[in-house]
Amino acid sequence: MLARAHTFTIEGLHARRVTVEVDIRRGLPGFAIVGLADAAVREARERINAAILNSGYEFPARRIVANLAPGDVRKAGPGLDLALACAVLGASGQLAPENLERVVLFGELALDGAVRASRGTLAVAHATQRAGVPRLVLAGARAREAALIDGLQVVAVERLNSAVRVLDGGPGDALPDERADANAAKQRTVGTLAPAFPAMDLGEVRGQHHAVRTLVIAAAGAHNLLLSGPPGIGKTMIAGRLPSILPPLSRTEAIDVTRIHSLTGAGVHALAARRPFRAPHHSITAAGLLGGARLGSVGEVVLAHHGVLFLDELSEFTRPTLEALRQPLEEGRVAIARAHHSAVYPARFMLVAATNPCPCGYAGDGDRCDCSEADMARHRRRLSGPLLDRIDLLVNLQRDTSRDLDADPLLSSSQAREQVASARERQARRLSPEGVLVNAHMDVRMLALHVRLDERCERMLSVARQAGLLSARGEHRVLRVARTIADLGDSDRVRPTDVGAALALRPDVVLAGSRVA
Amino acid sequence: MSAARQVMGSGRACASCLRRSWLLGELSGPLDYCARDRQRLMELLELADNELLPAVAGRRAAELRDRYQRFGAGEPTPTGQAETCRHRAGYPRGLSGAWAPPMLEVAGGAQRLAKLTTAPVVAIVGSRKPSDYAMEIARDLARGLATSGVTVSACLTDGISVAAHAGTLEAHGASIAVMGGGLGVCCPARRRSLYGRVIEAGCAVSELPQKCNGRRWGQLAAERIVVGLAQLTVLVEAEHTPGELAAARIAQARGRTLGAIPGRVSSPLAAGPHALLRSGAELIRGPHDVLELLHSMNGPLPDTDSDKPPLPDRVAVSGLPGELQETLARVGSGCDTPEKLMCAGADPAGVLLALSELELLGLLARGDGGRYLPRQPLAGLG
Repeated sequence: MLARAHTFTIEGLHARRVTVEVDIRRGLPGFAIVGLADAAVREARERINAAILNSGYEFPARRIVANLAPGDVRKAGPGLDLALACAVLGASGQLAPENLERVVLFGELALDGAVRASRGTLAVAHATQRAGVPRLVLAGARAREAALIDGLQVVAVERLNSAVRVLDGGPGDALPDERADANAAKQRTVGTLAPAFPAMDLGEVRGQHHAVRTLVIAAAGAHNLLLSGPPGIGKTMIAGRLPSILPPLSRTEAIDVTRIHSLTGAGVHALAARRPFRAPHHSITAAGLLGGARLGSVGEVVLAHHGVLFLDELSEFTRPTLEALRQPLEEGRVAIARAHHSAVYPARFMLVAATNPCPCGYAGDGDRCDCSEADMARHRRRLSGPLLDRIDLLVNLQRDTSRDLDADPLLSSSQAREQVASARERQARRLSPEGVLVNAHMDVRMLALHVRLDERCERMLSVARQAGLLSARGEHRVLRVARTIADLGDSDRVRPTDVGAALALRPDVVLAGSRVA
Repeated sequence: MSAARQVMGSGRACASCLRRSWLLGELSGPLDYCARDRQRLMELLELADNELLPAVAGRRAAELRDRYQRFGAGEPTPTGQAETCRHRAGYPRGLSGAWAPPMLEVAGGAQRLAKLTTAPVVAIVGSRKPSDYAMEIARDLARGLATSGVTVSACLTDGISVAAHAGTLEAHGASIAVMGGGLGVCCPARRRSLYGRVIEAGCAVSELPQKCNGRRWGQLAAERIVVGLAQLTVLVEAEHTPGELAAARIAQARGRTLGAIPGRVSSPLAAGPHALLRSGAELIRGPHDVLELLHSMNGPLPDTDSDKPPLPDRVAVSGLPGELQETLARVGSGCDTPEKLMCAGADPAGVLLALSELELLGLLARGDGGRYLPRQPLAGLG
């Protein structure tokens, strides 16, 4: 007898529809799964066998063949368990096969028959709704996550028995208690959705007004920022306060972010509200940064989508890792191709990096620096090139012994957030017809359209070009930053002070000094 | 010596001087061993061939003596570069005496070397690991001197010497680079591109044969040539250690005029110049002081090429708007970061605009850690 069930498998950021066909006939007892299944799916045989028996059903002692269609798509993960088990029950007559139509089953089975949550729930729910299937049956623990998608009937089940009851037309299990769910989700999301730093306020930064001002500029225009300075000066402290001044996510952005985080297997109980802030350690590999280490694993740049990627000690990252950042920084997405799969993930983030100005860290700090010219050249080579080329703003932080810690903070996070929000509003008003929201994403055509310069500004830029201080790409960066500074100053025109400030903040290829002629 | 004075083809050194150069190349290894004692090395280099050979050759003495006597018959003579020796017209006047090399290989031509050394020559010496401030000062100095028609001589290693050549090149001047190895092997190799630019208009010289690899002793010996070529030696920045002050000590020993540029009294990097200033070196603040000193030593400068622009001076500064002048003065007196300038109560937007405009005018440069350094603009730019 034949039974057919429907489910999805995760492929990149999206879910691919999979039809599970189970056929039971006379022959030597056995259970074969065909259709490009990975190890987790093949292991499902044992789980399904035990779960069916422990739920009080009969596991047919006949020849069972399960086919996962389409046959050319690689199926990964244990999320197919529930559909397979139900199809086996349908094919053996313990469940009416026609009840398996127009419903999607998604979940992993425990040996005792309990249904466990599987990663990628939100993507599956989204795909189910788009495929026009009205009902989604899945583990109770993740039902809330799926319920974030409108126009879909989500049924939670705790055990295989409940799933059979639901398919026979009975009610589903109650959604887990809201509070318990939230608590559980909070525990699971440590290190994923929660920022790496607890909520911190810009008002805690004493002194360093120049750096704080630049941080606000970076936040306002979503510009990439590099902080350079001696150890212990507060680079990490200032960068860690960036999430507190960024505007909240819009609804579409929030769905994007939530879907990505659902993919990592972390429970999501509500749409993400804060922008992600990812701070990977400098020992990370290119695969860790971009993703694709395993089938379907998501990298840090993708997790930082619509948020901030913070690279502390930039010069300590390996060269291939930094090179790998080129595509996401340029295109806002990352395409991963491996032997058996390829996928494209969104990755539009703000890059914030911190570094020492030289290997010892003390260049420019009196006579403390003890680096040789060769040390400096090596350090510069590590940073310069493709990555530095995509940084819009450079702040050099210096120790100021005269007024260290008793200096006043420049402004609090809430004040900064207001400035950033109003500047972003101006940008969005101007740029939204172009499909862009922030100045950092303006292309050359938009620059010509929206950044009009007066004669004095033009002259400054042409002098900078002639003096060899500015490349063509560098000039575009200066224009974008100048536009943002003007937006922060509530000005429609780009004024000479804006261009001057953008020039002063431009990243110099030479971080430390003019030691080399 | 009469045989040595025999005239050979133009652009060639005489045989005995070539032989000296060959001998130094052969003894390069043992001499490097001796270079651990700087004083001993200088004394060895003053020895005549017949004393030098037994003093350092060791077990190879007999073999080398044999080849020394047959030199010119079978030994390959250096090719590719011009040589000049003290028996030729136009050999630098400063290089006389037993301590000076009798012969120099010259990249750029012996005639050009002769022309460059008829102009006043100033040696710029200093630390190999200077501060960015001293690099900028050395560049300014070399640039100012080059525009006034003064020839700059310096080694070509690291630090101040590199800044001296770079400054000269910026002013389209000509400098003399004294190499610590043969001219065929640019040593250190990382200076190859700068070496190429120096010999376009200037010269590179070495007392060693073409293919001789650079060694430590060669750099020490090169310093005596740098100082020997020059009437005046200027020490830009150096720690108070024998190594960093070596060139200055040679100048003192040879009785050459010595100038020094002061730095911060608290900085160990400036301790060398300060010690020299205490003991009577001339105080140098910039190209003007050097020119004044040269004037008092040997009268007015000979007429320089008319196509060279005049020495840049502070006129460019006095014509600036008030706020730029004020910012420049503040940077010069230590408020050298945006943060410090803003602390002084200035308007942040104004500070950044002023810094950018001054940078565009060439009056400020970015130094270590993003600090701003005042610099002299190059006439005709900005």
